[in-house]
Amino acid sequence: MKGLNMNKISLITVLFLLVATVTQAQVKKGDVLIKNGTLLTITNGTLENTDILVQNGKISKIGKNIKAPKGVDVIDATGQFVMPGIIDAHSHIAGTSINEGTSQVTAEVSMEDVVNPFDVSIYRALAGGVTTINLMHGSANVIGGRNETLKLRYGTTNPDDLRFEDAPRTIKFALGENPTRGGRSRGIQPQSRMGVEAMLRNSFSEALVYKKAWDDYRSDKSKRKVTPKYSLRMETLVDILEGKILVHCHSYRADEIYMLMKVFSDFGIKKLTFQHANEAYKVAPELAAFGASASVFADWWAYKLEVYYSTAYNAAILTKNGVTTSINSDSGELIRHLFHEAAKTQKYGNLSDSEALALITLNPAKQLGIDDRVGSLEKGKDADITIFDKHPLSTYAIPQMTFVDGVKYFDKATDAKDQRIFVNPESSIDVVQIFDREEQHQCMQDAEMVDFNVLFNNK
Amino acid sequence: MKLLLRKTTFRLLTLLPMLFLSFGVLAQSDPTGKSPATRTYAITNATIVQAPGKVIEGATIIFNNGLISSVGANTTIPDNAEVIDGTDLFIYPGFIDGMSYTGADRPEQMKRPEGLFTPNPPNDYAGITPELQVTQQLKVDEKSIDAMRKAGFTISHSVPYGRMLPGSGSIITLKDATHPDELILSEDVSMYTQFVGAPGAYPGNTLGIMAKWRDLYRNAEYSKQHFEMYASNPAGMERPTRDRTLEAFFPVVSKQKPVFYNASSSLEARRAIRLQKELGFNLVLGNLKEGWDLSSAIKESNAKVFLSLDLPKEPKASKDKKKTDEVKQLEERRLEFYKKYLNQFSDMEKAGIKYGISTMETSGSKIKDNFLTLLENGLSEDALLASLTINAAQLLGIDNIAGTLESGKLANAVITNGPIFDKKSQIKYVFVDGDKYEYDLKEKKAANGSKTNATGINAIVGTWEYTVSSPQGVETGTMTITNENGELAGTLSGMQGGPDNDLNNLTFLDGSLSFDFSFDGGGQSIEIVVVGTVTDNEFDAEASVAAFNISFPFTATKDEAK
Repeated sequence: MKGLNMNKISLITVLFLLVATVTQAQVKKGDVLIKNGTLLTITNGTLENTDILVQNGKISKIGKNIKAPKGVDVIDATGQFVMPGIIDAHSHIAGTSINEGTSQVTAEVSMEDVVNPFDVSIYRALAGGVTTINLMHGSANVIGGRNETLKLRYGTTNPDDLRFEDAPRTIKFALGENPTRGGRSRGIQPQSRMGVEAMLRNSFSEALVYKKAWDDYRSDKSKRKVTPKYSLRMETLVDILEGKILVHCHSYRADEIYMLMKVFSDFGIKKLTFQHANEAYKVAPELAAFGASASVFADWWAYKLEVYYSTAYNAAILTKNGVTTSINSDSGELIRHLFHEAAKTQKYGNLSDSEALALITLNPAKQLGIDDRVGSLEKGKDADITIFDKHPLSTYAIPQMTFVDGVKYFDKATDAKDQRIFVNPESSIDVVQIFDREEQHQCMQDAEMVDFNVLFNNK
Repeated sequence: MKLLLRKTTFRLLTLLPMLFLSFGVLAQSDPTGKSPATRTYAITNATIVQAPGKVIEGATIIFNNGLISSVGANTTIPDNAEVIDGTDLFIYPGFIDGMSYTGADRPEQMKRPEGLFTPNPPNDYAGITPELQVTQQLKVDEKSIDAMRKAGFTISHSVPYGRMLPGSGSIITLKDATHPDELILSEDVSMYTQFVGAPGAYPGNTLGIMAKWRDLYRNAEYSKQHFEMYASNPAGMERPTRDRTLEAFFPVVSKQKPVFYNASSSLEARRAIRLQKELGFNLVLGNLKEGWDLSSAIKESNAKVFLSLDLPKEPKASKDKKKTDEVKQLEERRLEFYKKYLNQFSDMEKAGIKYGISTMETSGSKIKDNFLTLLENGLSEDALLASLTINAAQLLGIDNIAGTLESGKLANAVITNGPIFDKKSQIKYVFVDGDKYEYDLKEKKAANGSKTNATGINAIVGTWEYTVSSPQGVETGTMTITNENGELAGTLSGMQGGPDNDLNNLTFLDGSLSFDFSFDGGGQSIEIVVVGTVTDNEFDAEASVAAFNISFPFTATKDEAK
């Protein structure tokens, strides 16, 4: 009888464990041995002719002459460059909506609700070596919505499978022309940068009142106590005040960047990354002193008035001043060559290879609070890895393979033409015709022409 | 009447009210002469499908005062029964629609108020009106009632038009009535919700809608607690503030009322399940169109499902002989996904998920074709019939009164002149709540000699003068059909002064001509489907607009001079 009971209990335990693993194992984890590559570790320099072993989605060993455990695929990376997967701290791919722009403070909304696993841009980003993005809310309002950190596990139809498990929550703020343009066109606050600051201070002051009401309620011992009004918006703002949500703020001008640091100092908020931040170089020491980070473009500006006073040295100046800096894409096209963007900081600012690569790996990981998991090639970290044929800071580099959790999601050698995982059966098929300028124009007819392929093939 | 009164005496004047009174008691429509002589019907010697797989041949069914009073081979026919010879007739339980707008009249768009750019615009503009009910939008002469009944539907879980939270749904019978109240079988049975934002106001899209849902639900939970505490002992307690919107959530919070989510895409269904997981209400996914990857998610959440009958159009491969391999591959992928839409019905059945059918966005004239398409793609006839009858009844909790042909249940039935899912069978009668609706069978005209059912393609090629009697008025114009190397093409001269319309999906088979065309109705593309028969030079058809659930006559005469 006793034995029977024991059996029952162990059966139940086994069943329970099975169920637990089924629910846990929704996301694929891979095993792979990448042999004899040049490892750009970011945190431990360059390791030549080195192997990297991945087991169950994690980097389990880095060294020479590692033997592949039974059944583990081996990839020969001789002559190739192995680096941590690229992280984009500012992206709007893989979202079905971007802005809830109908009101100026919408802290309650979250991009996690609108993740679009069907967006083929995810695959294109993987083909550019990107493994993690910060899917951001737009910049239409002063306090936008929460962002969602995603791992680019393309192929799943379940948006939850893309979520970067246990990544801290982040939220989008916006300063300057975008929210004030909305305010002016609608005749509401904010119509100026002063209005933006007032809205921020008002929002946080309101959140403090809200927090006090709930703190009082929780400490009230009465059984007949009545709950204060609940607000998801205020709950989110309170979490920001308590440091549970990292703020990523759209900004350009030095004065507005400085303003937000003052506001945050007054409310005791510490976790702050400025997005775009084209004039951040003017307040680099102040940013370093505050402990704020910056996520910038390599050389993109002048698309509106507040973005004129810019320089390609921005990332380098910030880095040299000790500001954690990343380079982001904010674009479904630029995301495919962030390694080029990082390389520009070597021409404009002479950053070292490690410094330049950190701009698209470890630094954005820090800004998203996931640097314990990704951003460098280290034992114990997630096996989010990209392999390039040439050094990724070379103009000639082309990503060859991209792994997330040790699972290969992109392989240039077996890259199929149609990567869509959803096709609308009622869509029309557009036959794309490439316009051949050479055939149309006769002004150079019969003149000697340099062959395009010969010119750019580096042979 | 005036003349009569002048001539009558005082006696007649006293009689008049009595006459009216008796009309009211006996029947509503007596002045038209259409009221039935009896509400007892016996259909004899028919093939009766009581439930999927449960068939009795040569049997009789008796309807009495709105109920099925007996079914079987040995029944006594009451003296007062209207007897219908059921030889060659097939009788099925009336179809039940899991979620639709049937019977509801779309209200006028609310005027845009001032000062909308706030986090809390007025609830009625924001579309947050869960306290409203579909019964307030019901119209007895709504065309959708007739259109759906003609397709075999006798009961509908109807929901109101609106935005994020339009109001509650009710289960109605699709019969003729003089007042909407008579249609109601079960009132206020569901909370209907959808991913429809307010134009230019919060919540504007899915982001705001998801957040607002959570916020409303949490507040409703707290408010409900407060009300309950206050009700048990109000003394010394702050009075709870009345809020009709939050109060509408109370039965949802206590799981007495399910949430019907209009979740047509797979992502919408995932979002609805996400909310359900976080908040814990009872969820029904309605109008689901893309459920093929969702079996495990649906099972895990315990959600009920009503799949949409609005199937995508079959993609047509290009007939260009010079098309590239790339185009061929793209066409194959499109077809692969088209099949997913169709196969999900049988896949879900295999996965053990019991589902019903929702006709939302489906035109009545396409329903039979869509049944046939599903049956061609792996769905069994029994499974389809079950989804339309008993499964739907169980999911809606009305299987004690509907869903099968059993004694004691509502006299709701569809009667056809052949097996119901046979391509050629037609609906002859529909019984709703014991009332008989008879339909003309479209006979093949070839049989009567003088007129021949047109067959060859040349019968339709040429110029036609058409007449459409739409709710906007009568329109006439020219329809041109051409035949180029066996491929039919056609145009319709502009309606309401608009440009010419190309006819799509033009098919002509056994004298039956069908096509559809779209026109721009103020920024929205409106598709009209035309289905009818060609007899000599006459085209007699019905045009229907799925978007508005209406249909109207379309006739054309071929211009022989041409």
